[in-house]
Amino acid sequence: MRLELGTFNVREIAFGPRTHFAAGRLEVNKEEVLRAVFNDVRIVKADLEIARPGEPVRIWPMRDVIEPRIKVEGPGVCYPGICGRSIATVGQGRTHRLAGMGIVEVANVDWHGAGGDYVEDYLDMAGDFGQIYPMSRLQNLCLVVEAEPSLGNESQNYAVHQAALAVNDAIAATVRDQEPDTLEVFELTEVDPALPKVIYIQCVHSPQAMSGSRTAFCTATYGMTQLAPPWWLHPNEILDGALTGPYRTAFACSWTVANNPSLWEFYRRHGKDWNFLGTIVFRTEWTTQHEKELMANQAAKLARHLGAQGALVTWDAGGNEFIEVIRTVQACEQLGIKTVFMTTEDVAADGAPTLLMPLPEADAIVSCGFFRTEPVDYPKSPPQQRVIGNPQKVTGPLRDRFVPTAGELDAPPKVEDFYGFNSLSCTE
Amino acid sequence: MADPLRVVHYINQFFGGQGGEEAAAAPVSLSEGPMGPGRALQQALGADGRVTHTLICGDNFFNERTDEALAAITAHLETARPQVVVAGPAFGSGRYGLACAQVCLAAQKLGIPAVTAMDAENPGALNHRTQVVMVPTGETAAGMAEALAGVARLALKLGRGETLGPASREGYLPQGRRVPFDRGRPGHLRALDMLLDKLHGRPFQTEVPVQMPDRVAPAPPIADLSRATIGLVTTGGLVRKGNPERAVSRMASRFHRHSVKELESLSGNDWEAFHAGYFNHIVNSNPNYILPLSFMRDLQRMGAIGDVFEWMYALPGVGTSVANSRVMGREIAQDLKAGGVDGALLVST
Amino acid sequence: MGIPVGMISAIYELPLNTGANRVIRGARIEHVCGDPALGPEKDYAYGMRIVKAAIETLQTPVERPTLFNPLEMDPLPHLATAEAPHAT
Repeated sequence: MRLELGTFNVREIAFGPRTHFAAGRLEVNKEEVLRAVFNDVRIVKADLEIARPGEPVRIWPMRDVIEPRIKVEGPGVCYPGICGRSIATVGQGRTHRLAGMGIVEVANVDWHGAGGDYVEDYLDMAGDFGQIYPMSRLQNLCLVVEAEPSLGNESQNYAVHQAALAVNDAIAATVRDQEPDTLEVFELTEVDPALPKVIYIQCVHSPQAMSGSRTAFCTATYGMTQLAPPWWLHPNEILDGALTGPYRTAFACSWTVANNPSLWEFYRRHGKDWNFLGTIVFRTEWTTQHEKELMANQAAKLARHLGAQGALVTWDAGGNEFIEVIRTVQACEQLGIKTVFMTTEDVAADGAPTLLMPLPEADAIVSCGFFRTEPVDYPKSPPQQRVIGNPQKVTGPLRDRFVPTAGELDAPPKVEDFYGFNSLSCTE
Repeated sequence: MADPLRVVHYINQFFGGQGGEEAAAAPVSLSEGPMGPGRALQQALGADGRVTHTLICGDNFFNERTDEALAAITAHLETARPQVVVAGPAFGSGRYGLACAQVCLAAQKLGIPAVTAMDAENPGALNHRTQVVMVPTGETAAGMAEALAGVARLALKLGRGETLGPASREGYLPQGRRVPFDRGRPGHLRALDMLLDKLHGRPFQTEVPVQMPDRVAPAPPIADLSRATIGLVTTGGLVRKGNPERAVSRMASRFHRHSVKELESLSGNDWEAFHAGYFNHIVNSNPNYILPLSFMRDLQRMGAIGDVFEWMYALPGVGTSVANSRVMGREIAQDLKAGGVDGALLVST
Repeated sequence: MGIPVGMISAIYELPLNTGANRVIRGARIEHVCGDPALGPEKDYAYGMRIVKAAIETLQTPVERPTLFNPLEMDPLPHLATAEAPHAT
């Protein structure tokens, strides 16, 4: 699989009479782009707003951030499979992308109707808390969208996300026929056979357990969100958005997955430091020990069978999903695969371990800091002048109170830098 | 040149040359200068430290007559006035390890810094590593030289009043004081560099040392189940329907207790699950899945158990901090104990 | 003196690894003591087997975290084989 990725750097977004891109400036004809959104009868309300880095703007509820990408040559569409999009295998030919910007999906739809999973993150384009997220440094085109309220929760989820993808398709089309600022070739070329073979095992939460549904909306693998056994993806497929869609937290959204610095770094050093074998995607939150161990064993077996001598394991969730993730680390080590595990930590108390279930094989761990904000003393987020989205923000442990979104807010309860974007960590 | 630091060394009857198990009842004794491994400790300290006295106590004496032992040791320390106390190394010996830890605590109470050494799984470590600086060792005295080197180094630092750095750097057991720390380089680069080091057999330093949780001694079994009162606890987030108590669904800092005195079973008309960590609907139709009251009443009728405790305890066990878990666990245990409960079932989701 | 605790969990490795001494394998996180997919009678029988196993552990001496698998045990064998129907 050979993929040419053409990057167009966006420095500015403005509304104007034409939807087009030139010299770093994206101009958007609002009506034209929204027409594509309203093509779907499930959408009853939609608007576009622009949020620039450094502006005193707060975006809430932030469901997803998507980097505009489009296939120029080769089969399939970017962000395949989800919302009924073509499932043709992607990762070949040529793809163009608009870097330095995001399409932000802003909607009052929680992830599923079964309880327990709610949209919790807001994005401040200025201020200390916003700086934690790479998305606060993007030129953000925000789609504030509502689906027909009589639709079930699952349908509303897919409707609003499809609307965001409609915006993606319209915006990314502006650069389809242009020459990019940079063009990179992504290919797992043959390399020096002496180089060690490495694989990336990316554990991705499935909403199936929490929602009771195999089709609940979440991060999707070619549109599938259900619990599934280990699935090998060529990294080009991920560059084309085969693993996409948001999850519960800001660090697991379409943008962070498509720009996963771990994946890009693996690729960058292919042929220099190692022979990169690609990614095994492994859906998590199985609900019996039996299934958790089975998946871990099978993921490790697949890695071994592909020739892996080393592996990086990451995950994007919390709670009991840790079990199948750490068991994967263990299973890999037991098969002779040298494994590094990157994770966040819980707060230490009286010497208790900061990982849910430590295992001796997990002897090479990179910590991306505490995942709870409360003990780290994040300051409250200051009042903002402008809100994109809902002027009321739900709050309280029972989610039964509302405060003005523009006012002073508590930091979101968690910051989970799953893919190691930042340098904050923990130490003794 | 500064005077050598005054060090008092605590060892057990075996290392003190008094004998093995048969001498384990030996009371506290004080000798001048180093004894047994204290001589190697003196060598490791070099000119910077001087083992002025050695305290010896039999492991059984210490563990069975702890107050007496500690009183004697404290009195000796007050007379000897060391600048630092070294205890052990105890390696894998549990009684010795516990004694070493408590000797260090006693010294610390007098304002004297202390350090010991033992295997990470030694009960002395499991119980006290967060309060006492402990150099990790293997299980046997085969690692004596290495252990003493570590102990001597830390003893000198502590004796000089220096603050120790993080456990992983200084070479002592983690004390659970993990703090946020900017490593100056993004996680993904650190991870892939670590992978490369590991692949090439180069040394690397894990950012989260493996640290096994505490162990608790199992409670003895119930002698006669047919007369036993059994308490029921769940972390499945069981609440009364409509959640009138306004229990939270995650990150709990309190639990709720409900009377089951008049109940034969839990009905979905009266109870539900409110827990943000699993799909609640199945339990909503049959709450006995997470608090098995109906089964327990049947067992009671069959004479298998004596009674079901009138109070049941519930909380949502997702995102609970370890600190809160400990507090709640202790309180529930005290409640059960005060209620004369003989055994308990805990159902978790 | 401590109170023996039988901990019932479908993801039993976690309690075993974190120091629970008597751990009984439950069915599934979403329905620990039973399985609705089995139909009412078998669901009840399964749940009963799990709870009996848990009660059995309370009279079993253990020295360290120990897993008890209800389906591999014959808990409380002195009870009548016909299990009493549960009250609703």
